[in-house]
Amino acid sequence: MQPFALNYARPAVEREAATPYVYDAGLQLNVLLDGRIAAFDHALLRELGTTTSTAGSKTHFDD
Amino acid sequence: MTVLILTGEEDVTADMVVAHLNASSVPVVRLDPADLTAGAALSGEYVHGTFRGHLSSGERLVSVEAIRAVWVRRPGVPAARAAQPSAWLTQETAQALYGMLRDCGARWMNDPDAARRARYKPWQLRLAQRCGLPVPATLITTFPQAAREFAERFPDLVVKPVSGAHPQEPPRAVPTSRVAPGTDFAAVAYGPTLLQRRIAKRADVRLTAVGGTLLAARKETAADADPDQVDVRFAPPGAPWRPAEVPRAVARSVHAYLRRARLAYGAFDFAEDADGTWWFLECNQSGQFGFVEVDTGQPIARTIAEWLAGTARPGTSVAES
Repeated sequence: MQPFALNYARPAVEREAATPYVYDAGLQLNVLLDGRIAAFDHALLRELGTTTSTAGSKTHFDD
Repeated sequence: MTVLILTGEEDVTADMVVAHLNASSVPVVRLDPADLTAGAALSGEYVHGTFRGHLSSGERLVSVEAIRAVWVRRPGVPAARAAQPSAWLTQETAQALYGMLRDCGARWMNDPDAARRARYKPWQLRLAQRCGLPVPATLITTFPQAAREFAERFPDLVVKPVSGAHPQEPPRAVPTSRVAPGTDFAAVAYGPTLLQRRIAKRADVRLTAVGGTLLAARKETAADADPDQVDVRFAPPGAPWRPAEVPRAVARSVHAYLRRARLAYGAFDFAEDADGTWWFLECNQSGQFGFVEVDTGQPIARTIAEWLAGTARPGTSVAES
């Protein structure tokens, strides 16, 4: 009785590593431990995949 | 005049835009509707034929009349982090917040009504057709026999969710997947199924539209790529995204799509075939853009910031890097 499309489902991949930045309410930006703005560190963003189009989001389906 | 950004704290993609707005000295209030009543607050007064409203987030306070643009980026579920969250409180909070903002005179990226409609993928396909974009042959059906006949006409098919949503209990993802020859379509009867002719692609294209500006990027498919690996989101990293020129006819159609959809922002996905044709797959009205900017260096965040600030230049097709 399973819908056809679910025959192609796979477990959603949870992001494993904790992000190495925290939100700074004063700046309204996420900052790295050394105080740099995380969004400027493109190498880090690429590594973490936090800006990447993904599938399986619990809250958003627009990727 | 302030730019209101509705998104969560963890949204580092939004940070890319906030940083540009800060650099331009444009006031920003970043508010996650999930924080309402616990970290964020609202108030609106309708007295003597006038309206006065205020929002606060953290230590920032903005009057609703002072909001020049609202960016609906990745807002949390209203009041989700309240002391005693409930479906009722979520509904109350959503009504109060969005109802108050609806008529504040700000520009929206994107207008909530337009955004809701734009999420319907069947609607997207029809609008794309009407705007002159090539759309792969597609069937959405609960009739197994219709699926069988469609597979006879188009033997190389993919299946994907109609909604783009993914089942949660347990959390699963449903990538666009190739349908093997001889597949049994009986289960089509148990849920609407979207079948689409597979495009033998030589590249994926992500076209990010911001106001009138089009920024396209292209990711080449490896010559030895597995043809069963259809969904670029699940493929091995492979080639990076590179800036791409937007064909004039595609640009015309995309502008028409945005106009008719009443969208200020859209992330269009295309599959480029061996002839260079860009086949429309979908338009995500709140699609991610950070990964494209990181790879290509295209000024997507800056363009969004300029649109929100009201300083955007006339629309262009941009492939600069």
